Amino acid sequence: MSSHAEPHEPGAFEHHGPPPIHYSSRVSPAVLGMFLFIASEIMLFGAFFTVYFFDRVVNKPFNGHWPPEGFHRPVYVALINTLILVSSSATMHWADTSIKKGNRAGLQAGLVLTLCLGATFLATQVIEYHRLGFATKDTSFASTFFGLTGLHGAHVFVGLTILLVMTIRAFRGHFSPEHHHGVEIGGIYWHFVDVMWIVVYVTVYLL
Amino acid sequence: MTELHEHHTAPARTGIRRLTGPGWLRVLWVTPIFFGIGVGLPVLIRWLAHWHPVWKGSVILTVELVTVPLGFLVGIGGFDYWAHYASGRPTVEDDHSSHGAKSWRDYFRVNTDHKVIGIQYVVTTIIFFCIGGLLAMLFRAELAQPGDQYFNPQTFNVLVSNHAALMIFLFVIPAFAGLGNYVIPLMLGAADMAFPRLNALSFWLLPMAGLMLVAGMVTPGGGPSAGWTCYAPLCSHQPLGQVFFNMGVQWAGASSIMTALNFLVTIITMRAPGMTFWRMPLLVWANFTTSLLVVIATPFIAGSQFFVMFDRVLHTHFFEPGGGGYVLGYQHIFWFYSHPAVYIMMLPGFGIISEVIAVMSRKPVFGYRLMALSLMAILVLGFSVWAHHMFVAGMAGWLRVPMMVTSMVIAVPTGIKIFSWLATMWEGRIHFTTPMLFALGFLSMFVIGGLSGIYLASVPIDIHASDTYFIVAHIHYVLFGGSVFTIFAGIYYWFPKMTGRMYDERLGKLHFWLTFIGFNLTFFPMHYIGLQGMPRRVADYAGRFADINLFISIASFGLGASTLVFLYNMAKSWKHGEPAGGNPWRALTLEWQVSSPPPIFNFDEIPQVVGHPYEYGVPGAKHAIFGAPKPEPVGTD
Repeated sequence: MSSHAEPHEPGAFEHHGPPPIHYSSRVSPAVLGMFLFIASEIMLFGAFFTVYFFDRVVNKPFNGHWPPEGFHRPVYVALINTLILVSSSATMHWADTSIKKGNRAGLQAGLVLTLCLGATFLATQVIEYHRLGFATKDTSFASTFFGLTGLHGAHVFVGLTILLVMTIRAFRGHFSPEHHHGVEIGGIYWHFVDVMWIVVYVTVYLL
Repeated sequence: MTELHEHHTAPARTGIRRLTGPGWLRVLWVTPIFFGIGVGLPVLIRWLAHWHPVWKGSVILTVELVTVPLGFLVGIGGFDYWAHYASGRPTVEDDHSSHGAKSWRDYFRVNTDHKVIGIQYVVTTIIFFCIGGLLAMLFRAELAQPGDQYFNPQTFNVLVSNHAALMIFLFVIPAFAGLGNYVIPLMLGAADMAFPRLNALSFWLLPMAGLMLVAGMVTPGGGPSAGWTCYAPLCSHQPLGQVFFNMGVQWAGASSIMTALNFLVTIITMRAPGMTFWRMPLLVWANFTTSLLVVIATPFIAGSQFFVMFDRVLHTHFFEPGGGGYVLGYQHIFWFYSHPAVYIMMLPGFGIISEVIAVMSRKPVFGYRLMALSLMAILVLGFSVWAHHMFVAGMAGWLRVPMMVTSMVIAVPTGIKIFSWLATMWEGRIHFTTPMLFALGFLSMFVIGGLSGIYLASVPIDIHASDTYFIVAHIHYVLFGGSVFTIFAGIYYWFPKMTGRMYDERLGKLHFWLTFIGFNLTFFPMHYIGLQGMPRRVADYAGRFADINLFISIASFGLGASTLVFLYNMAKSWKHGEPAGGNPWRALTLEWQVSSPPPIFNFDEIPQVVGHPYEYGVPGAKHAIFGAPKPEPVGTD
């Protein structure tokens, strides 16, 4: 008997299980949680944009040249990469609407396509990094360039991991028109990553 | 006896399963694997990219500070459910085997019960409170006399920096998270938080973060000594221990964001039928606002710590003026989090005080709606005052006056709360129990801290008092006299609920008076020496401050010793205290309507909320009824 602490209320632990959950909102907890997480993520990007604009606009380094002389941004390669990522949002949406209609083949094809497009984007970015001709240690221009694109790249990586899990589950027979929360929430995150890229692209490459 | 024992360690694991199942044995072999990954990954990348040298200690260490905690979390079982899900196997109906505590061992594993997590949080944070307090006593010993006695200036600064960092990131913020964790689902009439597994994970990040900060102090080469504010570019040129500091803050911040997200979703989606927003206890309101602040603001400190760490490890120029970086950018980003952070460290305390004062005065909270709305006002205004920390930093001159004005305006919603508490007590039947004493101590001390805050908000006084002990006095009147007193009030108030036993009232009162007197003797003279010009964060000082500093040091040891009374009281009462019964305070809120400690799933059935939570002394008033025939849809009240 002495091998465990006595509960103060006899019988407190011999319970059958929790009472049925009462939801006080029509929004599902998981979707709400994802939106709040995205709000937090937007603020993290906000911190990176803040340091970008402080370095570029408030500080006005390099005699007003941004990028500094001798630095070139691969605007067109990144534009193609942007198109790749934007089209992956469309395929993600296709996957999402397919499972809502009960079309498993559409779900699987949509997820695999999204996964391939996202991986292509990331691979292109790695190659771009390698051929840029400048590194993190070269001026605050390079710091903020790698900061913003790197932070975004990390998010693409996380998004791809989520998509990979969803793809595995889609091929192993999970998800149905009634139960597709995983796809929906992963999709929300993926769309966020895409929209964020457009902001990053415009700020870092075009402005 | 054996049979019972086996039953309680179920599911029984034997042989190899003891090593592969979640727990400390798995930590022992998984963490070294992740340590290996932390070495291998940077070496591999540097080798592939032809960077020299391939083996670079500072980079490897930085990666280790990510992978080793991950290894620990994998080992202890923080990711087990998600790993199962990711492998594509069918989700299993939860058997609740990770829920609840039958013995003390259950507090040392991943536990999804919000009550267990709440206690895990509170106990962990009190350990770090003691460590942080000991650091303070060490540097007070140094300051007892002018000149260098025990520590060189570098070590002194390490002690000061880590005292602040531990108290802020490992005590005040997570202690509130712990109390909220225990109480919020109970107050809402829910069986648990919305995401119990995330809740467990966010707790286990915390000891990691704390160990990292402590390890930073004893790192070969020297600890972080740039202050808890870690200003750039100083911070990027510190000894190796600084990286521990940067990453420790990241882990604590991640834990904080996850908990806040969980609180928000729980409060929005898990309220009992009839529990409208305007029927929620003020503690829930306070944590709702705080969580919004955390979710919005904490990513900024994550960003700021990334930048200074990259400036060091990757040689970036975010804040290095040599390469076109903007030094003041760090301070703007840091304070854009850290000013809201002072409200993160205070609003949950406001909630605790509202509970305690209403219950102990036996009166409804005065101006309930305004109390909730003033929290929201503080939330909004809190984002518009950050640059008042930078009046002497050389920032844009036009920012000064707007920031001064907003800093003064934020005293208005805070004043509304102070007057509402006073009006709540007015003509009440006040019970001077320990939590109430701490609440009253909080009220008086926080007003002093608030007033010196208004002084400091005005630019000319701030320029005079900046970086002096006047600032130290102000911050301790709001953070110790404010936040820490409310945490003590909360711990005493919910101690009977958490343990089922009553604390020793006489020792509680002794603890209060020792703390209250020791606190004032320690920190009040700092106002004076600050205005006389004694600078903070310096190991040595002018001879004319010698007597008063000796006095402060002696008082601070007394203040430190008062914590022993608290620890003894908690330990003794937890084991031998009088059984408390379900509702020793005769409170109306839901957590007091169940047994102490509450049943494993809080409620046998979800209660039906029918009225306001603070109708003390109102005949026939009811907050909630149990056993209602059928839960009705959410009311429109």
